[in-house]
Amino acid sequence: MLRLEGIDAGYDGTQILWDIALEAKRGQMTVIIGPNGAGKSSILKVVTGLLPPTGGRVFFDDEDITEVPAYERPDLGIAACPEGRRLFPQLTAEANLRLGAYTLRARRHADDRLAQVYALFPGIRPRATTKALRLSGGEQQMVAIGRALMASPEILVLDEPSLGLAPKVVTEIFETVHRLRLEGLSVLMVEQNAYQALRIADYGYVVQGGRVLRSGPPGELMDLEELRKAYFAIS
Amino acid sequence: MADASVIVAQVIFGLIRGILLGCVFALIALGLNLVWGIAKVVNIAHGELVMLGAYGAYFLNLFLGFNPLLTAPIDAALGLAAGLGFYFAILHRELRGKEAITLQSEMVTLVATFGLSLAISNLANIAFTGNFVGIPFDAGSIEIGFLQIPLAGIYVAVLSVVIISLTHVLLNRTYLGNAIRAYSQDIPAAKLMGINPTAVAAIGTGLAFAVTMAGGAFLTTLFPTGINPYMGALYAPISYVIVVLGGPGRMWGSLVGGLTLGIVIDVGQIFLGVEIAYAVAFLLLIPVLLLRPEGILR
Ligand SMILES: Nc1ncnc2c1ncn2[C@@H]1O[C@H](COP(=O)(O)OP(=O)(O)O)[C@@H](O)[C@H]1O
Ligand SMILES: [Mg+2]
Repeated sequence: MLRLEGIDAGYDGTQILWDIALEAKRGQMTVIIGPNGAGKSSILKVVTGLLPPTGGRVFFDDEDITEVPAYERPDLGIAACPEGRRLFPQLTAEANLRLGAYTLRARRHADDRLAQVYALFPGIRPRATTKALRLSGGEQQMVAIGRALMASPEILVLDEPSLGLAPKVVTEIFETVHRLRLEGLSVLMVEQNAYQALRIADYGYVVQGGRVLRSGPPGELMDLEELRKAYFAIS
Repeated sequence: MADASVIVAQVIFGLIRGILLGCVFALIALGLNLVWGIAKVVNIAHGELVMLGAYGAYFLNLFLGFNPLLTAPIDAALGLAAGLGFYFAILHRELRGKEAITLQSEMVTLVATFGLSLAISNLANIAFTGNFVGIPFDAGSIEIGFLQIPLAGIYVAVLSVVIISLTHVLLNRTYLGNAIRAYSQDIPAAKLMGINPTAVAAIGTGLAFAVTMAGGAFLTTLFPTGINPYMGALYAPISYVIVVLGGPGRMWGSLVGGLTLGIVIDVGQIFLGVEIAYAVAFLLLIPVLLLRPEGILR
């Protein structure tokens, strides 16, 4: 459903991504793994439109969306939970969630979606009127994922949902994402937490130095020598 | 004893007038607060908008006989158009495509609005002449004991509070308002929500200008002969003080700041004279900035 072809991209003239080819299939969980600084977040920024590529095309349902501005992509059904969560710090948890349903398409179902998000993350309901900056890291992550779900997306784009969270919370988040995938949602997720991510994935990409190093079903990537090297080379 | 009761009466009258004036000040400052909060623009030309609002009321009264209350919505519509024009002519060039508004951008827009401020007041001086003009508007008065309070002042104060409240509701309870606030907090994240950054920044600027010009129209009822091309030079600093007193980005803070300033000026001038009263009002800024840099309200 989502396809990158030959993507080159960078910041201020410094190229970071080189010839990235990647596909996230409908109803599947696609994960991108790789060491810190590999370019994983940059790939997602190309997907969401925040980073315009200098070369290559982005397709969504076979439609070329390379030139579609970021703020029109939620309307197509692409909703993202960015790296570092990026909640609106001065807005309440619930105001953050409701902004997830900002598009006219999603706004009509906002109340239903809100009830679903609270059912999915019961822990954030009592925090509804708390400003986002006062939420714990785990609560912030749940609100951030919930905010993306409020858009009624066709594909959910997640950037390192486990970052900086306690192991117990990480497990909870992964379980929830897995449940969403089982309910039929397409997911494109970036994770540094490679093994936990691959366990719930249908397909994986290993990115290093701004290039796709390998791709394949999780079983093939799990015991990949290169994967180990890619990580040990950094850490 | 007689002296004391005269002073008490003056103070009560000053207090009431200060409250009425403070409400209108608050509305005017709200306009500055909005542009400041949304686009991080310290709008030096803010006072000139107040002046244009006042002249708008004056000419609509002169040629069409409208009273200042009726001219406020027309002023607001003109302000909306002016705000959109200002956004696209000046701010958009600087802010377009930015992920965050940097100090450098703030300096660029500050200098740009400074130039605009000089241009507008000098053009106004040519177009309107430098004479002080005013609007004869008497809506009657109510008497409370020995006090006579002009109804026009009460009307504009109440309307100011209503507009501030509506703005508060807009910003906090509507998708558009929350989108404007989201833009001011995190531009890339706002885009991910489907918010068109250009649209909300432009609308926010238009809203700010609309409120300011309506405030300029209201002001003419409290200072019936105070309209002149350089009056903005007073209302810009008054607005800065109010915004800082109330806390930038806080709409209710503007009301608290406005009332504080209105009361200090109107009660203060009984004892200190007009000039010193204004000086004291501006000096309030120093202890507030030192002790409560976030504003009086928590
Ligand atoms: N906004 C930015 N401006 C300049 N360089 C950036 C920016 N974001 C990321 N980079 C650089 O791009 C490279 C890839 O970063 P990123 O995509 O965040 O990697 P990852 O998510 O895999 O850790 C890094 O070298 C990083 O320094
Ligand atoms: Mg990253």
